[in-house]
Amino acid sequence: MNAKQIHRFVQHYLESTDCRIIEKSPAHFKVKLSPLADRILTNRPYYWGFVDRTGAEPETMSFLFVTDKEKYDQSVEEQTAKDGPDQTDAALARSFGYVHATTAGARMPREDLYYGSKRLEQLFEAARSGGSYVCLFQEPDTKKSHPMESTAYTPWLGLNMRVEFQCDRKREEIHSFGVSLATGQCVEQFQDRLSGLRMTPRLPPNVHIARSSVTLHKAAGMIEQTLEKKLRTYDYGWAEEAAQRLEEEQQLIAHYYDAMLASAEEEAKTHIQTQFENRKAEIDWQYKPRVLASAINCGIFHLAGID
Amino acid sequence: MTGKNKLHPLVELQMDRSWQDELQQRLGKNGPWDEWVLYKLAIEAQHARKIDSFDELQSLRVLPALEPMPHQISTARKVLDGMGGRAILADEVGLGKTIEAGLVLKEYMVRGLVKKALILVPASLVLQWVRELNQKFGISAVAQKKAHTWHYDVVVASMDTAKREPHRELLLGTDYDMLIIDEAHKLKNKKTTNYQFVTQLRKKYCLLLTATPVQNELEELYNLITLLKPGQLGGQSDFAANFVIDKRQPKNEGDLQDALSGVMIRNRRGDGGIHFTKRIVRNIPLQLSTEEKALYDAVTNFVKQRYDESGGDLTSMLSLVTLQREVCSSRDAVFITLVNMFKKTAEDSPVRAKIWELVEYIKQIQANTKAEAALQLIREMDEKVIVFTEYRATQEYLLQYFRSHGLTAVPYRGGMNRGKKDWMMDLFRGKTQVLIATEAGGEGINLQFCHHMINFDLPWNPMRVEQRIGRVHRLGQTEDVRIYNLCTLGTIEEHIVNLLHEKINLFELVIGELDEILERFEKQEQSLEKQIAKAMLESSGNRELSSRFQQLGHSLSHVREEQRYEPNQRTDQAFKPLLDSVSQPVEVKP
Repeated sequence: MNAKQIHRFVQHYLESTDCRIIEKSPAHFKVKLSPLADRILTNRPYYWGFVDRTGAEPETMSFLFVTDKEKYDQSVEEQTAKDGPDQTDAALARSFGYVHATTAGARMPREDLYYGSKRLEQLFEAARSGGSYVCLFQEPDTKKSHPMESTAYTPWLGLNMRVEFQCDRKREEIHSFGVSLATGQCVEQFQDRLSGLRMTPRLPPNVHIARSSVTLHKAAGMIEQTLEKKLRTYDYGWAEEAAQRLEEEQQLIAHYYDAMLASAEEEAKTHIQTQFENRKAEIDWQYKPRVLASAINCGIFHLAGID
Repeated sequence: MTGKNKLHPLVELQMDRSWQDELQQRLGKNGPWDEWVLYKLAIEAQHARKIDSFDELQSLRVLPALEPMPHQISTARKVLDGMGGRAILADEVGLGKTIEAGLVLKEYMVRGLVKKALILVPASLVLQWVRELNQKFGISAVAQKKAHTWHYDVVVASMDTAKREPHRELLLGTDYDMLIIDEAHKLKNKKTTNYQFVTQLRKKYCLLLTATPVQNELEELYNLITLLKPGQLGGQSDFAANFVIDKRQPKNEGDLQDALSGVMIRNRRGDGGIHFTKRIVRNIPLQLSTEEKALYDAVTNFVKQRYDESGGDLTSMLSLVTLQREVCSSRDAVFITLVNMFKKTAEDSPVRAKIWELVEYIKQIQANTKAEAALQLIREMDEKVIVFTEYRATQEYLLQYFRSHGLTAVPYRGGMNRGKKDWMMDLFRGKTQVLIATEAGGEGINLQFCHHMINFDLPWNPMRVEQRIGRVHRLGQTEDVRIYNLCTLGTIEEHIVNLLHEKINLFELVIGELDEILERFEKQEQSLEKQIAKAMLESSGNRELSSRFQQLGHSLSHVREEQRYEPNQRTDQAFKPLLDSVSQPVEVKP
């Protein structure tokens, strides 16, 4: 994720949670959080508990989110050079209580949002948990539609999936499926098809929905089959290598523990046997090749047209 | 709810179906529904975090501020790609084993292969590990303090705590995705409880860190590897038959090297070695003023009397020893200890009167000879300088004394919170010429931009002196480092300086060497600090003190010589060919 993508991501998040953007450039946002975003992002359960119990007017936090550190620092430097040098060393100012002109008023902590930073990770997590299940309707194209005619919409099940290929190492893929609940047709890259559309949570006027002939359960089954069929065609060289490492290690420990068991005294044997079993399990845990598929998010999408 | 199907004779597909129920339920109740924007952001976030390939290092991508050295990166790669996450990291001291371990841990965490990790280190290193993992790697590691701390995902603890009940049982009942053990050479003996305990811990990935994987006999190496991967070198008798001629001489070295290189990575300094700048030491002999000398003698007598009265009991002498050390630093330090001592003494004790007598001596003192000398030094050098003192009271005094002479200094103390420490560092990095520090430990202070340090007083523990120097004389220092020792003649300090400088040659040792010398020295006798205290308390006069110090110096020199000329006893000599054959030289430049 580059600085530009992060910037866009942050902007979308702030907008969708009704935060007030006080100032922005392509490299930063100064933002006053909405109560909703404050609850999610600032980890102040006691404060919000207090607000909820007393009904006090909440005072949300403000942040300086820097999405492109280099650019931002440079622009600040240029600004300072233009305004003449800062008279007060920032650190000294803090100790003597001068208030820095630009931070007068609300305290505005700076957070650098780069890929891997904790705050961005938190925004990712917030998006994930706040965007899991949807039920949406495509906004009709008002120019084209005739006021007296009703447009037919098809309900789709949309499912974004994460597929993990795992042994002692791991890689991932993301798959996006859509199944028409009217016809049962299953398509891939469904999210791409959706992303260009404008959506609304309410049923638009002059729209009728085609009857579902496929149950959710059945649609899910079709997605699973499609995915499975696709995954069968993959190269499993990585898994064969892992399985071979697993086998080699199992042989090594079998040799080791068998010899130990053979020469051990009776009372020590149980103990050795336990160690042996534990070690076997550890090797399986470490190397066993497997593929895991799970949902990232899903929803019902009502799209114009019958298909 | 999961489903399982075979994708390949070796590979099962596990399908998580829990989303179906949830969606069905929400459809039934017509909500609640999430927002479209967030739905799109969620998938975008997932795309950003996706692990595209098995082997490309993700940890470097998420740690833009970390710049590992090339050998550290290649080590991490090898552990991940070639060793399945179980390895002995056996770099020579100072090449960054912690960084390597941190990289491996971070990589597994980013990939979601490690969630729960346990890091066992000597007690003195717990906080340092916690700090490094948090600051350098953004890993929320926690130092084990109470029983419930074990429930955190990444916990750093001391081996001694971990292996004791009730902790032991709890840990043995947990599955650890990753176990890291620092100073793993302490596990070289199979029969110890430490060894047994680590064998029993259930772990997926495992890193053992040690600079000395083998010290005295080949069996140590066997034990360490067996701990990591039982059977890697066969059974004990296989190993003895295949690889050992005698304790210290391997055979079939080619095969042994192959076996080792599958589980152990060792980087050593190349012939160029680390290019440290020089340490230039200057001792500054000072003559105490008549009043100061009077206080010194009075305190010395007082301390000795108390010791004699106690019948030679060392354990209760701590505050007395402190007093004797403080009197070489400043009257302020002495005064505070005296006040505390006065409070603790029974009201009817004759000792109280004696303490007052000492306070009278303090009152006579008008000037601090050392402080004057320090001020003059600082003005002459006219560059950044750190003044180290052991005592808070001295620190306060110096701050005030310098200020009254128009010189601004900032303090640095172990007790300051993180924010304040950073702030003091900022000031020192900025306009302030002088930093007065009471604490040399803590990785937080890297002061490469400064190359003068004044030892206002000297700790009796050489490691602490080395730590002080290490703050300044480290990778990244481009200038020769100048060390000034203020040394008052005719006091115990003179002996200490002499011991550290002449006998241990402390100020010119290579990093890591001091450790070895002290370990050997203290194996035979008590810690150096204790021995100095004893010499001081037990000597009846200056002459005896001198001869006691001479003895100490003698045995230290002896240890040094031994270490240098008895190669058989040293790891690097007997096993050097073997270890070198499985290691890569790296060039490290400051």
